[in-house]
Amino acid sequence: MLMCRDLADIASDYIDGELTSRQNLSVKMHLMMCKHCRTFIGNLRASTDLLKVHSSGRENEELIRKIDERVAEALRERKSDGGTRE
Amino acid sequence: MDTATHPDPQGSLIEDLKRGNSFAYKEAVREYSPGMLAVARFYLDHSSAEEIVQDCWVTVIDAIQKFEGRSGLKTWLHRIVANRCKNKLRSINREVATDFSESLDPELADRFNAKGRWDLPPKLKFHESADTLMENDALSGCLDKHLSALPETQRSALMLYEAHQHKSEDVCNILDISASNLRVLLHRARQKIFLMVETFQETGKC
Ligand SMILES: [Zn+2]
Repeated sequence: MLMCRDLADIASDYIDGELTSRQNLSVKMHLMMCKHCRTFIGNLRASTDLLKVHSSGRENEELIRKIDERVAEALRERKSDGGTRE
Repeated sequence: MDTATHPDPQGSLIEDLKRGNSFAYKEAVREYSPGMLAVARFYLDHSSAEEIVQDCWVTVIDAIQKFEGRSGLKTWLHRIVANRCKNKLRSINREVATDFSESLDPELADRFNAKGRWDLPPKLKFHESADTLMENDALSGCLDKHLSALPETQRSALMLYEAHQHKSEDVCNILDISASNLRVLLHRARQKIFLMVETFQETGKC
């Protein structure tokens, strides 16, 4: 029998669809009977989604500015010494 | 195929990069650097990681000429970063130390009784959608704080998988870890975020 602790252990694999069909079935059976684990899975899933929303579109402006400068400089050098490469 | 009505945006970006178009570089740097930094942070401390990402872009200017587009630009860039980091680690004779042994966070593991049932079950349902939750600036700040407190390896795996939406296979290749180790890293990181949101919802504190 799958216990709550076992379920918590493989919860991310369940969310990502990485379990075998047998494991998947035993998780589903457990969830039907266990309210706490339903809440846990729901909350872990929400935390995962939160991360997707939160991390996208975050930029490190200072680093990007530095890279832009170095790339621009390297492009200039390349044009002046190897301009006939094409 | 009519390329005028079905343009391949990445294809034309790659062509522009090959031609050394500076606007194309600006666009690509903005788009791909955050992911490249996440890769580098798996291997190195913050300032070395930033340095490596900068150096990589300079080498990309020449290397892109040989890029054939088989792997996709993002994966290709991430591999360049990973290889450079591995070389650097080799040169200073260091390895990435990672704990793959336990997939349950110790704090969460303590919440089960000896029989494996919940002793301290999750009390509240996170009822709001992720978008609504993120409108809460305090929560967003708290998430930043906890993300930066995660071990480098967990954070990088999480970022590449969730934020940069790499397939597991690519994350494993780039970070040089097995599929089961990736699962452990992802699960450990998600549990930390779960615990953080729970505390935040219950107490309003970070
Ligand atoms: Zn349960």
